[in-house]
Amino acid sequence: MSTDAISRTAHAPGSEAELAEIVAGHFTTGQSLRVAGGGTRVQTGHVAGELLTTRAVSGVVAYEPGEMTLIARTGTPLHEVEAMLASEGQALAFEPPDLRRVLGGDGTPTIGGMVAANASGPRRIMAGACRDHLLGVRFVDGQGRILKNGGRVMKNVTGLDLSKLLCGSFGTLGVLTEVAMKTLPQAQARATLAFPGVDEAAALRIFSSALATPFEISGAAFHDGIAWLRIEGLPPQLAYRQKRLQDLFSGREIEILDADATVRLWRDLRDVTHFAGTEAPLWRVLVKPSDAPAIAAALRGLGGQVSLDWGGGLIWYCGPGEAGAVRDIAPHAVLVRRGEVEGPVFPRQSAPVERLSEGLRRKFDPAGILNPGLMEG
Amino acid sequence: MQTNFTPEQLADPATARSNEILRSCVHCGFCTATCPTYKLLGDELDSPRGRIYLIKDMLENNRVPDGKTVAHIDRCLSCLSCMTTCPSGVHYMHLVDHAREYIERTYRRPFAERVLRWLLAKILPYPGRFRLALRGAGLARPLRRLMPDARLRAMLDMAPRAIPPVSPNDAPQVFPAQGPRRRRVALLIGCAQRALNTDINDATIRLLRRHGCEVVIPKGIGCCGALTHHMGRTGESHAMAAANIRAVVAEIDGGGLDAVVLNTSGCGTTVKDYGHMFRNDPLAGDAARVAALAKDVTEVMAELGLRDAGHAEPLRVGYHSACSLQHGQQVRAAPKELLAQAGFMVLEPRDSHICCGSAGTYNLMQPEISGQLKARKVETLEALEPQVISAGNIGCMMQIGSGTGVPVVHTVELLDWATGGPQPHGLAGAGAGG
Amino acid sequence: MSGIAMPQPDIRILERAPQIVASLQEALPLDTVIFDPEETRAYECDALTAYRCAPLAVVLPRSTEEVAAVMRVCADMGVPVVPRGAGTSLAGGALPTADCVVIGTARLRDVLEIDTDNRFIRVQTGVTNLSVSEMLEPHGFFYAPDPSSQLACTIAGNIAMNSGGAHCLKYGVTTNNLMGATVVLTTGEIVELGGPELGPSGLDLLGLLCGSEGQLGIVTEAVLRIVPRPEGARPVLIGFDGAEVAGECVARIIRSGVLPVAIEYMDEPCLRAVEDFAHAGYPDCAAVLIVEVEGSPDEIADQIARIRDIAAALDPVEFRESRNADDALAIWKGRKSAFGAMGRLGDYICLDGTVPVGQLPYTLRRIGELSKQHGLEVANVFHAGDGNMHPLILFNANEPGQLERAEAFGADILRLCVEVGGCLTGEHGVGVEKRDLMGAQYDAVDLAVQMEVKDVFDPAWLLNPAKVFPLEASAAHRLKVAE
Repeated sequence: MSTDAISRTAHAPGSEAELAEIVAGHFTTGQSLRVAGGGTRVQTGHVAGELLTTRAVSGVVAYEPGEMTLIARTGTPLHEVEAMLASEGQALAFEPPDLRRVLGGDGTPTIGGMVAANASGPRRIMAGACRDHLLGVRFVDGQGRILKNGGRVMKNVTGLDLSKLLCGSFGTLGVLTEVAMKTLPQAQARATLAFPGVDEAAALRIFSSALATPFEISGAAFHDGIAWLRIEGLPPQLAYRQKRLQDLFSGREIEILDADATVRLWRDLRDVTHFAGTEAPLWRVLVKPSDAPAIAAALRGLGGQVSLDWGGGLIWYCGPGEAGAVRDIAPHAVLVRRGEVEGPVFPRQSAPVERLSEGLRRKFDPAGILNPGLMEG
Repeated sequence: MQTNFTPEQLADPATARSNEILRSCVHCGFCTATCPTYKLLGDELDSPRGRIYLIKDMLENNRVPDGKTVAHIDRCLSCLSCMTTCPSGVHYMHLVDHAREYIERTYRRPFAERVLRWLLAKILPYPGRFRLALRGAGLARPLRRLMPDARLRAMLDMAPRAIPPVSPNDAPQVFPAQGPRRRRVALLIGCAQRALNTDINDATIRLLRRHGCEVVIPKGIGCCGALTHHMGRTGESHAMAAANIRAVVAEIDGGGLDAVVLNTSGCGTTVKDYGHMFRNDPLAGDAARVAALAKDVTEVMAELGLRDAGHAEPLRVGYHSACSLQHGQQVRAAPKELLAQAGFMVLEPRDSHICCGSAGTYNLMQPEISGQLKARKVETLEALEPQVISAGNIGCMMQIGSGTGVPVVHTVELLDWATGGPQPHGLAGAGAGG
Repeated sequence: MSGIAMPQPDIRILERAPQIVASLQEALPLDTVIFDPEETRAYECDALTAYRCAPLAVVLPRSTEEVAAVMRVCADMGVPVVPRGAGTSLAGGALPTADCVVIGTARLRDVLEIDTDNRFIRVQTGVTNLSVSEMLEPHGFFYAPDPSSQLACTIAGNIAMNSGGAHCLKYGVTTNNLMGATVVLTTGEIVELGGPELGPSGLDLLGLLCGSEGQLGIVTEAVLRIVPRPEGARPVLIGFDGAEVAGECVARIIRSGVLPVAIEYMDEPCLRAVEDFAHAGYPDCAAVLIVEVEGSPDEIADQIARIRDIAAALDPVEFRESRNADDALAIWKGRKSAFGAMGRLGDYICLDGTVPVGQLPYTLRRIGELSKQHGLEVANVFHAGDGNMHPLILFNANEPGQLERAEAFGADILRLCVEVGGCLTGEHGVGVEKRDLMGAQYDAVDLAVQMEVKDVFDPAWLLNPAKVFPLEASAAHRLKVAE
């Protein structure tokens, strides 16, 4: 994985067929490819091979608001998709983050990159992750075969669910060319309850209580001594939910943020902007929520800061901790911003899971040319 | 589902009926979920769907059943929970009754079992013999440890230590209504019940009279046939049922009857099925008339409406829904509503649809499964912290009573108390008094 | 029996049946192994009774370790394994072969952990779907996927088929509510996938496993996401005099921004059958929608008012709110028992294609035409909100040739579903029933890659034989791999 191997050559095919041809060519020669959409989500600087971007395989194929379905080629810029959905009062409910401010770089996030990274924001606790809204995919595997899986309907159990497997595989199993997503009505009203002056343990207690209510908390995050809960819904629902939650936490100081402030706050939380503007390594750690306070404290012990999202289930750790030390504390940690850290982006899985994952990679990418090594822990 | 009977097989009315039932089953498996034995044993062969399959296979092939097939069918409680659950309307009761009769006819049971079943069939339905047997049990109790068969020990354990004297109320007679007569009803006084507990009939008679019923104890009434029917001994059960039908019809044609009242729901299920049992018999018409008039005492009371209730203490009552009442007769709301109207606080246990394990002679024939079901039932009932447990079936009362210190009484005893009758004997000195 | 072929049993396995049974008996407690032909018969089919085959043996293990022990025996002796939950599959997902060992999950019934702080429940997978929610009720939570067979079906089967249900319009299907699984591989190895954390941080093997119809491994324990119970829920019944206008109503509700938790559709033949069982007082008309909304009383009233406005514009025959909880229960009892209740009308096969919601009216019209063409009656009951249709084709199983006609009709309907942009199966799975139609939805290469995935988990192809993949395709694939 020396820097010499990283080529400056870039492929930006304009169609699936063209893309398939390029991959097939590399399959034959065994030359590896650095697969990317807009290149905004994962740092592949260390991955060997020529760049292959889906940027030019672009355009919305179909959007049916009454069916809550959108089909787009993977190079389609995410902001275009989001604007199109917003014009019909809909959205991608899992709130895909935009990591450009955290990672730097000037690429344009694409819908394909979103799926390849299974990129999911704060609403994941209520609405599920990107993979839960993915209806079907078209992709090109490591042999250049054009494949499809799933479809465009919301319920589909026909055959093995390779869409889920491709989602979050960061281009290592195939290059996505088209995705079908479930869309949902946007909330018509929103507000945030802010709880100042709390620590992680108190934040967790707030999250656990709130998330056990039927008030559909759509965000539960913590940073810098403040815990936030987001509520959404139809206007009468919102007022009711706010009231009930205020009653539930009547012993605590609560500040209410209005709709505009709510939009700004959760966009920032989603994009982790509080850890932007620095080069320090940034880790994304998935934990059992009740373990979060202890793990957060241990990570802070390595230096740096933490914030919580997903009701404590997601810890962002921004700090100088060594990879080994971070993973000793949090075995599932994923390295989002490399900084000076050496070693793999993804954590090592258990032995049988590693073996199965390796087996799958060998089937989808027998020549080992798609983002080689990226997902190996 | 598909069946494979020959036209010759279908010429037999019992087989034709079973074919009809099997054809309506879609094998969806819903019944497995509410079957007590499946819940305990986790083998589909001990579920209604598995048994239906075993029966189908046995009948289609005119097969002499093997011991395993018989064991799985024997394990069925006939609680009929599956019939409440079944969306397709599969009449499991008629099917399993046919299977039991078929097994009784074609399968030779081991000697000890034959003796045991013969004894039960010859004793339980006859109150006089049963009383003698109960006295015998008292003498045999010291020898319990020497008994080789778990079933024998179970029988001994079920036998009450005190046997009530014969009640003069159980003799054929007519009790006039108190106040203006609103109904003329016959009371089927049961067989095993009146040997074990005479309070139930006494309370029933008082309660009905108080609510304007003239209560007739018909001449010639005896066991309804249920006990032997469920053992597949069709000859005996039909003979007993026929005697009852004649006795009741004599009253219908004589003084006239508005209802035939039952206070043992196990019997009620069978009496209500007389029409089916005798469908190919010269008695068919009479059987259907009796069946149509048959009502559980709580059904009759719900019609009459409870009068002047509130004489009893407002106890916490754990209501146990007898399977024969809730599944066999689909009587669910009436007993609970009546108890509530009578001023009691009615509580129902978790999994109230699951059998207590009594099930006729089941607790004697399958003591192990029965014991597990009893333990579960008692646990869920006791979790309600009731002051008294009430049920509408003597079998359940004995079964549950043998596993708990909480007094167990018949629903009518509480209703009788609440409307001016005496406090049930079972409650005296049980901490419920005040 | 009819058109769908099953592979010839392996005579070498049948010959060794006594040794296989002996090995199983050695590895497991005695009451765990069933092999008497009179007894294995009851396991010869699931809820798809048109296809039947008694297995070589049935085992009913009580722990993950016992399942692993069975798998090791079977792997050593090269015996196919058919996993079985409650046997409620309508697709023949648990259909045995004569040379297989059925592994039943009925005795894996322990609840291992309820954690409301982290919002999950960990269970052995033989627990029934409904019992999970019952267990959670005192805690104020429930498990969301609610297949119609939820009373009886097991979590194991739900995971295998990625089961849906009426309420998945809002809460998603099994895969959206499955957080982790303990899986026994064909080697007998026990693997943990996922867990209480919101993963994964590697490849989504759990997502791949869910819905794999027992092709990849046997799930013995599961971590399930649990959801707070809504404050209240209320269904409304909207009756229409035609299928098309009912379909239009569905599309308008979805577009409006009100997202009901369920939108169900029943047509007239189906309504008649379920009314006999449930006595829910369904309107007497061509098509009825059950639309359920959730929330506080005011929230419910607000959403119902919006739905009423939408429906009113379409001139419904009837718009009726359930008056109380018993009413609501009866309405759902009827819907959930619809398949079983149809048994009152005769034999049927139940289909499960999904179409884009906008195509519902057209698809229903075409099904009506096909019904005339094939000379068989059809009743429709389905999840309208997500286009997951359940046409029930009525026939007489005791009349020779009728099953074949019903199957041909069914195949036409499923091809129609694919044609209009849908799929063969929305929640029941491919099983044996739709196996040979897979080519209508997937090209050879799409199927090939799925079979390659199976190779990774089950190189000897011992798990759930003759399901999902067309027999010829899988035979050719295995031949190629062998070379």
